[in-house]
Amino acid sequence: MMLAFIILGALTLVGGVITISARNAVHAALGLVGTLLSVGGLFASMNASFLAATQVIVYAGAIMVLFLFVIMLLNANQPVTGRDPVPFVRELAGIGGTLLAGAFVVLAFTYEDPAPLATSAAALRGGTAGAVGETLLTRFLLPFEAVSVLLLVAIVGAVALVQRPVPQPDGVPDTEPAGLLAPDTGLVFESVTQEAVLKERGRA
Amino acid sequence: MPDWIVQLLITLLKGVGVALGLLTTFAYMTLIERRLLARMQIRLGPNRVGPMGLLQPLADAIKSIFKEDLTVTLADKLVYTLAPIIAIGCALTAFGGLPAGPPGSLFGADPWVYNLDAGLLALLAIMSMGVYGIFLGGWASGSKYPILGGLRSSAQMISYELGMGLSVLGLLMLVGTTSFHGITHWQANNGWMILFQLTAFVLFLISSFAETNRTPFDLPEAEQEIVAGYLTEYSAIKWALFQMAEYVNMITASAVMATLFFGGYRGPEFLEGLIPGIASWPFIWLFIKIAAFLFLFIWVRATLPRLRYDQLMRFGWKLLLPVALTNTVLTAAIIAFSTGRVRVWLLILLGVAGVALLIGFSDRVRVLWTTPTVRREDVNLTPARPAGGD
Repeated sequence: MMLAFIILGALTLVGGVITISARNAVHAALGLVGTLLSVGGLFASMNASFLAATQVIVYAGAIMVLFLFVIMLLNANQPVTGRDPVPFVRELAGIGGTLLAGAFVVLAFTYEDPAPLATSAAALRGGTAGAVGETLLTRFLLPFEAVSVLLLVAIVGAVALVQRPVPQPDGVPDTEPAGLLAPDTGLVFESVTQEAVLKERGRA
Repeated sequence: MPDWIVQLLITLLKGVGVALGLLTTFAYMTLIERRLLARMQIRLGPNRVGPMGLLQPLADAIKSIFKEDLTVTLADKLVYTLAPIIAIGCALTAFGGLPAGPPGSLFGADPWVYNLDAGLLALLAIMSMGVYGIFLGGWASGSKYPILGGLRSSAQMISYELGMGLSVLGLLMLVGTTSFHGITHWQANNGWMILFQLTAFVLFLISSFAETNRTPFDLPEAEQEIVAGYLTEYSAIKWALFQMAEYVNMITASAVMATLFFGGYRGPEFLEGLIPGIASWPFIWLFIKIAAFLFLFIWVRATLPRLRYDQLMRFGWKLLLPVALTNTVLTAAIIAFSTGRVRVWLLILLGVAGVALLIGFSDRVRVLWTTPTVRREDVNLTPARPAGGD
């Protein structure tokens, strides 16, 4: 048990170091996958197999795949060279990191268990989802719902950002015959002029 | 020898046994697939190496091991080598959690490699890691078509993973546990799960085809469009490892479907009257069920054409996912508000209705009663839309 903890803990740290030190974005993402898997392994070694499986499915299996997807789509895997385009970014990151580390130190010293460790560990044993589900849907219902609303807002925002504007019919002259007869097919296409589109939009 | 070393050795032995068994099955599966496809297409198939072509897998293995192992100049060497290993590693690991017989039936040992309480979830987790193999293989090749194949595969597998996970929720609510033993026991007492969750089975079957990249969902390696997809730059043993992963995943998916919906390692209970104890014979029943599903995989490959990419995505997100969600919600309602015989009949009715819905709204049938719509933006385009499509 101790041996498993030491090995998995070391793997977690190695993955984290690779994540921040790798030049190539894909290698960094793979390091993060290693970290997440090792954390899943830590859960599993403590007999909380439901948490372990969820950790792997959600983080390593879905979120990191999306990360990699974006990295590859944007071809962002080139090594970072040259100067940072944002001024003072290193200094700001340093300050932010220090603040975060401080927050974690405060947390570590003032943390109170929501339930005694023995009770919660016993409830999680056996891989049942019951303990997690009950806590999430009773005691932490409001934060849980707030997080889901946050995610929904993020999705809607992303869709709104990438939505293509309604195409302007540039090629179509303003005056055209009322009906455009396609001679080959015999189909009649209603011609939509710019004015018609504008009028339509004014009405909407 | 201390007890834990003995346990460790037994587990290791079982793990190696499962891996060897799966790889042998893979080798002969390729032969059987080629012979069956040939039969379905009225030709002979490989029949020259050994009697009836039985040594063909051996010849293939020797060939792929001794072929030159090419690496493209632009490839990311580390990830390029890692990708096939991830693929086959995940594929082989996933199978170990499935019970092949009652406890203690393998010469006194248990016929499974590991037994997690979150069995089904753990299996879904391991299978979801398999996408990395294909995905990274496509990227690391440093070439155009492989990356297209890799991107397609990641989008496809993430999309259908959702449908797969959602479809088994109703089943989990009925059984009340995620361990394969619990599910098998429940079915031994109540009857096969397919009676109660027909829709879930159909959804799971379709998702399995997509997750294993089999026809009609084999877009990551669509040869007419993107050469061989993520496999394009791979050769020799690395290529063979990818092929192994695909077939082992198929075997695992078959075993999962057998365990979840067809009683697992237990045979039909009515045979107990003829020969007492026959239903709990280890291995044989699971193997028969796996073989039946593998035949189905081959049969579908010979029957259905490949989907287009947009058809694949539309089917996954607009049909599979909503039907799975509806099935989950309605199953929950039935469990909450009915008991006994009424519950059984309601569940059967729900299953049939779900399958009817799935067929009625599929692209093949829907066009019979809806006319294809033209988007407003498309009105200005020249009439270049081909027949078919929507």
